[in-house]
Amino acid sequence: MTPTAKRMPVWPLYLGVLVVYPLLVYPERALAGLTEISVGRQLTYIFIYAILALGLNVVVGYTGLLHLGIAAFFGIGAYITGILTVSAYPFQTGFLVALVASTIGAAVFGMLLGAPTLRLRGDYVAIVTLGFGEVTRFTLRNLEEITAGTRGLNPVPPPQLPGFVETPLSWLGIGADWSLDYRLFYYLALGVLVAVIWLLANVERSRLGRAWVAIREDELAATCMGINAARVKLSAFAIGCGLAGLAGCLYATTLTSTAGPDAFDFNRSMIMLCCVILGGLGSIRGTLLGVFLLVGFDNVVAPVLDGLIQAAQINTSGNRFLTFSNWKLMIFGLALVLMVRFRPEGLLPSAQIEAELGHERKSHRPAEAPA
Amino acid sequence: MPPLLAVEDLHAGYGPIEVLHGISLEVRPGEIVALIGANGAGKTSTLLVISGCLPVRQGRIALEGEPIERLAAHEIVRRGICQSPEGRKIFPRLSVLENLQMGAFTRRDRAGIQHDLDHAFELFPILAERRGQAGGTLSGGEQQMLAVARALMGKPKLLLLDEPSLGLAPMVAMKIFEAIRKLNQEGMSILLVEQAARMALMLAERGYVMETGRITMSDRAETLLGDERVQDAYLGE
Repeated sequence: MTPTAKRMPVWPLYLGVLVVYPLLVYPERALAGLTEISVGRQLTYIFIYAILALGLNVVVGYTGLLHLGIAAFFGIGAYITGILTVSAYPFQTGFLVALVASTIGAAVFGMLLGAPTLRLRGDYVAIVTLGFGEVTRFTLRNLEEITAGTRGLNPVPPPQLPGFVETPLSWLGIGADWSLDYRLFYYLALGVLVAVIWLLANVERSRLGRAWVAIREDELAATCMGINAARVKLSAFAIGCGLAGLAGCLYATTLTSTAGPDAFDFNRSMIMLCCVILGGLGSIRGTLLGVFLLVGFDNVVAPVLDGLIQAAQINTSGNRFLTFSNWKLMIFGLALVLMVRFRPEGLLPSAQIEAELGHERKSHRPAEAPA
Repeated sequence: MPPLLAVEDLHAGYGPIEVLHGISLEVRPGEIVALIGANGAGKTSTLLVISGCLPVRQGRIALEGEPIERLAAHEIVRRGICQSPEGRKIFPRLSVLENLQMGAFTRRDRAGIQHDLDHAFELFPILAERRGQAGGTLSGGEQQMLAVARALMGKPKLLLLDEPSLGLAPMVAMKIFEAIRKLNQEGMSILLVEQAARMALMLAERGYVMETGRITMSDRAETLLGDERVQDAYLGE
């Protein structure tokens, strides 16, 4: 570990703000009267996407395997939850069983995908995972007998968690009806996210976490250190994809539907990857920041700007160039290009990536002595 | 004394091409053995096969009499063979200290790891100075020292060194060889692969000469140094 000055951690502050926000600002008024967007409801989705991105960060950030199909595992989690809970199926196991099954199910699929790709490196992993993502989407769409095709499975019933969520929260004046008060979902997602962060922060410092990083840095050298590369890579796939499945379960539950297969397309994988890269590969804080910036921009800022344009009567004819949302992918792309050019290590990089890329940029790096 | 490492009739290769056609060699406890030869003779492949990074096609490898040729690379490390691979292969973005800690990945004895860490810093004081610095920012010589020190952190019975002088100025290479000699005096058994044949043979007790996948000569190091054919082919005299 590089010696750094001990500073007061700032995360309790952020967590405090997120915990208190829905208590103070409820019911939310539409933002400046411009849109129907509820920031609290969108924050719930941001928490869910943060879990998804943290899962992706395990595979891409720590272990260095370019995974371009994370959305498939998000979808697998959502559909497992759907199958286990909707009334069209006889299972109706309830939320907790579905949560565990989605996580484990997606982890198993992750290992099934990981096993044949173990010998592949770099670009080839990317191609295989990309292909798997698309295959999954088409399977979900065409397996209508099971997945109801493009309609998705619904309604996913609200969780029944009287002891964990409903009773404690009713003390804060929050109603017990999940369909009326979004704050139940909000605190559920926030709670799971905090648990995931705690888990990953511990894994990061464990033998497994160090083995992931060693594989990313140099696989041959890692093997020479006595690391079982195959098992370590498989574990990264299992944990990363399992977290994606967990996020998928929360997503389907919050949305009360699995959504259609197209909610789990390549774009979703790409945006998650952008979040991880923007924030900083291999950094938990960075990944969280990336999700808040990109998904927040997508779900909150863009609709507000659209509302502004509409309110100002600029675009009465419905010109597609005059709605902000149609420009947002371009802005994502531009942001990524600028990042890679000027700050390739990400906004909040991990110490190791900083060591390589950051020092180069700040030219702290001593001239490579030819020895 | 029984050999620490015994390699017998070893065949290995890449895809359709066989590059090792029946290598036999041994390392006795406390010895430095040099494996010299030209580019492409199969020296690095031999080390990779011993450490399990390249599969054995035929033949036997035994460590202290126990067959290890069917074990995976990470299991061989646990049995006590640690390798400093060709081109150093340090973890560029991990700090020097983290690199060394990775070397002790298979171990759980904290006190022993700390002891070996202190010993590594004693052997290479410059690494202690640079302990917080990222491995990739070290000079070539320092990176080589780090690679050797990292292999030592696995507490090996046998240390495999692949071209420790590669790309280093003679003065720096001398320093590395000094450290290797010191390690050996402390009792470490070493199999040293080198193109810098003279330096390697001066350090070693015995040597093997490799040519196109076969061992063509093996003898005491002084004898090889004095041999006409070796002088012609590898010592440039």
